[in-house]
Amino acid sequence: MIRWALLGLIRDRTRSLFPFMVVTVGVALTVALFGFMDGIGSGILDLTSKLDTGHLRFVNKPYYEEEHLIPIDRALAGQKKTHAWLKKNGDPRITWSPRIRWMALMDVPDENGETKSQTPVTGIALDLLNPQSPELERLDLANSIIAGRRPNAPKELLIGYLLAENLEVNLNDTVTLLGQSFDGGMAMDNYKVVGFVKFGIVAMDQKMALMDITGAQHTFYMDDMVTDWLGYLPTSVSYKEYPELQQTIAEHLPEWMQAPPSSWASDDEPIVLTILDQRNLRPMVEKFELIRKVNVMIFAFLMTLVLWNAGLINGVHRYGEMGLRLALGETHWELVRRLAVEAFVVGVAGSIAGCLVGGGFVYYLQEVGVDMGDAMAKSGMMLSDVVRGRLSIDGLLWGGLPGITASVLGNFIASLSVFKRSEASLFRELEVG
Amino acid sequence: MLKIDHVSKVYRVGNQDFTALHDVNLEVPAGAFMSFVGPSGSGKTTLLNLLGGLDKPTEGHVFFRDYCLDDLSREKLAEIRRQHIGFIFQSYNLLPVYSVYENILFPLLLNNEKESAVRDRVKEIIAQVGLEPETHKKPSELSGGQCQRVAIARALVKKPDLVLADEPTANLDKENSLMILDLMQELNREYKAAFIFSTHDEKVNRFVNREVRLEDGYVISDQAVESAPA
Repeated sequence: MIRWALLGLIRDRTRSLFPFMVVTVGVALTVALFGFMDGIGSGILDLTSKLDTGHLRFVNKPYYEEEHLIPIDRALAGQKKTHAWLKKNGDPRITWSPRIRWMALMDVPDENGETKSQTPVTGIALDLLNPQSPELERLDLANSIIAGRRPNAPKELLIGYLLAENLEVNLNDTVTLLGQSFDGGMAMDNYKVVGFVKFGIVAMDQKMALMDITGAQHTFYMDDMVTDWLGYLPTSVSYKEYPELQQTIAEHLPEWMQAPPSSWASDDEPIVLTILDQRNLRPMVEKFELIRKVNVMIFAFLMTLVLWNAGLINGVHRYGEMGLRLALGETHWELVRRLAVEAFVVGVAGSIAGCLVGGGFVYYLQEVGVDMGDAMAKSGMMLSDVVRGRLSIDGLLWGGLPGITASVLGNFIASLSVFKRSEASLFRELEVG
Repeated sequence: MLKIDHVSKVYRVGNQDFTALHDVNLEVPAGAFMSFVGPSGSGKTTLLNLLGGLDKPTEGHVFFRDYCLDDLSREKLAEIRRQHIGFIFQSYNLLPVYSVYENILFPLLLNNEKESAVRDRVKEIIAQVGLEPETHKKPSELSGGQCQRVAIARALVKKPDLVLADEPTANLDKENSLMILDLMQELNREYKAAFIFSTHDEKVNRFVNREVRLEDGYVISDQAVESAPA
C-alpha cells in the first residue's frame, strides 16, 4: 500500500506538489532564519571572545571587579607557573593566551619634538612576535592590518586606522605612551607605529592599539605578569559546554590557593569566567535563543496551518475517493493512517528539499557572508561588518522536523473530518459523483 | 444468505421523524439476481445501505451469512464489506489517478492480499469484462460503458457473496446498458454472487429474475420475473 500511496502522490500533483512546495518553502525559510540568527549570535560571541573575553577567562578577582579602570596593579604574577597550572588542570582542548589590557596617554610629537596631538588610548598586549602565535589568526591580523606590517620587535605598535587619522600619525612615526606602571609609578615609553588596523568596530578603530606582550611587560614594569589568561576552544565545542569546563578548573583552584606562587599578593584570588559571565552576555544570549525558538515555532505553526488548509482542500478534492474507500471496507482509522503516511512522505521530501535550499543559503552566508558596509561597524556593537550565517545540524533539525510534523499534523487534523462521515450517506454522496 | 427480519428505519429530519422503511421482510438466497424498484424516496437506497452494512435498522435485524449486521462494530462491518460485498455505483466512482488494472487490484490490496498473488486473477477478470486493451489506461481515457465494466470487475474480483448495484445503468445509453446488464448476468452465473440492483430502469427488470417493488418505505410486491436470455 506504500507503493500505492506513492503512485497516487506522483500521479496526482494536487495532493503532492502544493504540500511539497509549502513544506519546502517553510523549511527553507526556517533553516535560513535559524542559520542567519545563529550566525549573528555566534558572530557576536566569536568576535567578543577574540578581542575581549576568550571563551574562558582566568583573571585575578580584584582586577576583574575594577576592570573598567584597567587596574594593572592587580594583574596576576607568575605567568609561567600559571600557564603550566592551567594546562595541567584545564581541558586539553583549551588554548591559553596571555594578555595585558593597558591604558595610556598617546602623545604624537611634531618634527621639533613638541606635542602635535595626544589622546587616551586603550590597548591589548598579546603575543605578536611569534609567527606561530594563534593570536595572529585569531585577530585575523593578515587582513586587519590595512597599512604597514605586523610588529617584529617589542617596541613596535599597531594602532586603529581612525586613531591614526585623528592624531595624524604616519607609518614609522614614533609615539610616546604615558601610563601607570604595575607598582603605581609613572610609565613612559616610545613606540614605533608600524601598522594601521581596521577592527571593524568604530570604538576600537578610534581608541585601540596593539603591542607585543613583552613590550607591555617592559613598559609597565610587569615582568612575568599578565592581566588575563584567555582560553579558546575549537568551534566544535558549543558555548553550552563552557560552564562545565569552567567548573573543572574552578574545582582545582582551592587546592592551588593552599600554596600559591610566591610572587602572588596575599589577596590575589584568581577566578575562572566563561564568556557568558562577562559583558552581560548571558541574558542577551538567552533572549536570543528564546527569540530564535519562538520564531521557529511561529514558522512551524504557520506551516501547520497552511498544510492543514492544503489537507482540507485535498480532502475536498478526494472526497469521492475517501467515500469509496470507506464503502469498499477501509476503516476510518486505516484511511487516516494512509493519509498520514502520504503526508509523512511529502513532509520528508519537502523537508529534505527545504534543508537543501535553506542549508545552501546558510552555507553561502557562512562561507561568503554579506558585507553590511560600515552600517554594522558604526553601530558600536561588537559586530563584524560582514554578517555570516552558521550551518549546523541543530538548524537543519529545527527546520526539518517541524516540516515533517507540520505536514503530518496538518493532514491529520484535516483528515479527522473522515470520522464525521456517515457510511449511511455514502451511496447518496457517491452518486453525486 | 441474506435475511431482513421486520426491519424499519426511521430518520430524524429536523424535529420530525421520517420512516424510510416499514417492517420489511425479505430473504435473498445465494446467487440471486434481483432488483429493488420504486420511485425516488421509496426506500431503495436505505435498503441497500442496510444490506451493505453501511447503516443499521431502527427496528428488526439484518442477517448476512452468519452475522447479525446490526450487532457488529464499525470495524467488523468494514471487514465484511471488504471481504464479502461488492459495490457498483451509478457514476462508477473509479479512482482517477489509477489505471484500470490498479482500480481492480485496489479492493484486493485493502484485503491485505499481495499483488504478486492476485495479478493473474485481476488480468483474468479484465479479460472477462473485455478491457484487455485498456488495462493500463486511466478512467479519463475510457467511455462510460468501459468505466462501468471496470466497476463491475472491481466489485467481483474479490469473489464476493453479494454485489449491491445502485442504478448501475442510469448514466449509460441503451446499447451500453444492455451490454452491462448482459455482462452482469453472465458473471452472476459464473461467480454465484447475489446481485441486487436498485433501479427504476425498466431495462434492468428485463434481466433480473426477481423484482421487489417499494413505495413509501413499504414492500408492495415481491415477485419472480422471467428474465431475458443471456
